[in-house]
Amino acid sequence: MVQNRMIPEPCRIYEAMQQTPREVHFVVEAPKREPFRPEPGQFVMISIPGIGEAPISLAALPGEGAAEGTFEMLIRRAGRLTNLITRLKPGDTMYVRGPFGRRVTWEKFEGSNLILIAGGLGLAPLRPFVQRSLLHRELFRRIDILVGARAPEEILFKEDLASWSARRDDVRVLVSVDAARSTWSGRIGVITTLFDEIDADVEDAYAFICGPPVMYRHCLRKLLGMGLYENHLWMTLERRMKCGIGLCGNCQMNGLYVCQEGPLFSYREVRHLKEAV
Amino acid sequence: MTERDVYRLPRERLGALVARLERDYRVLGPAPRGDTYAWEELRPGDPVSLDYPTTMLPLRALLAPQREVLFTFRRGDDGEVAFDPPADERPLALLGVHGCDLTGLRVLRAFHDSGTRDRLVTNRLDRAFIVGLACWVPCLGEAFCRDMGSLDNEIPADLYAWDIGDVLLVKVLTNRGRDVLTEVTPMEAATAEEVVTLRRRLRVRLEAFPQHLKFAPERLPIALEAAEGDLLWDANADRCLSCGRCNLVCPTCTCFDVTDASPLDGRTGVRVRTWTGCQVTGFSRVAGGHDFRPGRAQQLRYRIFRKGKYMPERYGMVGCTGCGRCPHHCPTRISIREIFRQVGGTA
Repeated sequence: MVQNRMIPEPCRIYEAMQQTPREVHFVVEAPKREPFRPEPGQFVMISIPGIGEAPISLAALPGEGAAEGTFEMLIRRAGRLTNLITRLKPGDTMYVRGPFGRRVTWEKFEGSNLILIAGGLGLAPLRPFVQRSLLHRELFRRIDILVGARAPEEILFKEDLASWSARRDDVRVLVSVDAARSTWSGRIGVITTLFDEIDADVEDAYAFICGPPVMYRHCLRKLLGMGLYENHLWMTLERRMKCGIGLCGNCQMNGLYVCQEGPLFSYREVRHLKEAV
Repeated sequence: MTERDVYRLPRERLGALVARLERDYRVLGPAPRGDTYAWEELRPGDPVSLDYPTTMLPLRALLAPQREVLFTFRRGDDGEVAFDPPADERPLALLGVHGCDLTGLRVLRAFHDSGTRDRLVTNRLDRAFIVGLACWVPCLGEAFCRDMGSLDNEIPADLYAWDIGDVLLVKVLTNRGRDVLTEVTPMEAATAEEVVTLRRRLRVRLEAFPQHLKFAPERLPIALEAAEGDLLWDANADRCLSCGRCNLVCPTCTCFDVTDASPLDGRTGVRVRTWTGCQVTGFSRVAGGHDFRPGRAQQLRYRIFRKGKYMPERYGMVGCTGCGRCPHHCPTRISIREIFRQVGGTA
């Protein structure tokens, strides 16, 4: 009898850190039923039996940004399920299935410049990309991390941003907010305004974009205008998902199942799809 | 056709067939319900009528039910939750499945066999005993089963029957089918006269089922791709009420929602999947409110593309059986056949 792939596995919460009034950063025991070796861009299904289940991006991978045998997520309070999950404490249990999604391995990115772009909550799924590139820093050339938020108080993973910024010799971190009071001394402007500061050789650059739906068209347009190759533009696409295994149909984008063929896609793979971006 | 492996099943032996199947299967056949038909359980001794137009709900209602328990759970005193997969079910025997619904099962099989799937539906398909039944007259005015290759489709039946009057001629398609038939009849081959009758009726049938499309369904992916920016989608979507009936009656729709149900104590409960569909408002909406397929024209185009383009490209089978249910039950008569006809043209 094949394992019922809809049955989740209990995983203990090791840490639950309130990051903003809306978002909680969780460190969770990794599932053990099958080897848990996710790639950046993959996701898990998180649930509380009796309440429901939702797809959540991995914000750190075991043995990379997260400790071996654990993984991390940033969960925003957005509905009934996440209202309850964000109240869970260390020692509590959440129920996990996964990892799901396409496994994109990194050989093709080696030796290149990386431009890592996140808007708002998109910094959570982008974080494993940053962590992997810093873990193997010698394999890449320039690394630019561009982060946008609506307001200074909505900037996520501030400690990470500080520690990445501290590596100023080999990483550049640029943060911009859409609007701020006069106490903010940083940059103001939508995320694409940061792109003017990229001076990496675009012939040799890969860009990774994670952010709210509205962000993609603007970012792609600007990056294409700067001369990046279409197959060097990678993005994670968010969709409604109810199963993670290519069955429920909610995530279908034209003929593709985002939970199977994605959520990480290159622009070249989806540019012809009317339902992509 | 060849008449190899075609045997006589006198009508009065249908009861014996039900009784034989009842030993190993939950036997279902078409039965009148309101002004339509539905699949209902047959008991030994029940009258068996194989004369029915079509059911409102497709057979997937039995193989991938409208509400299906994925697992039950119990929360112990220590707070830990134990999960139980659904209990084993009696396998199904389906008596009198028309060509369109056989095609629907084929598509369901192709869909569930691809990629990393759960086994709930494939297990039911694997274990089901299926008796196909030839149609002699069109059921719904909107049907175009002949165009879609469903009219004479016999797969995945174990036995396939032509009702030619006092006797049914039954073709054996699987070993399992042969075993069952052997137990209920002496396996007499069809007589020459019966074979001639069958051939005549099949010839006459072609006139009763006119062709509606002037092209082969294999051309649908290309025809649809060329029509992606067509105003046809807006023209039809102007009438769409987003009620989702077309999704519910479709033999090849597979989409579902997942919800938990639990008594107030929260200690026990079930996670269930229930049918939903791409025509229902909010189907593609994510947390935060963004809808990735807003607008009825896009939703309608998606439904037709999934049947005529995405499914053949992905699973190797056109996702429309030509059963005619979706236009028939559409409150504003949006017709997949007419859309196919228009995009496919006359080539």
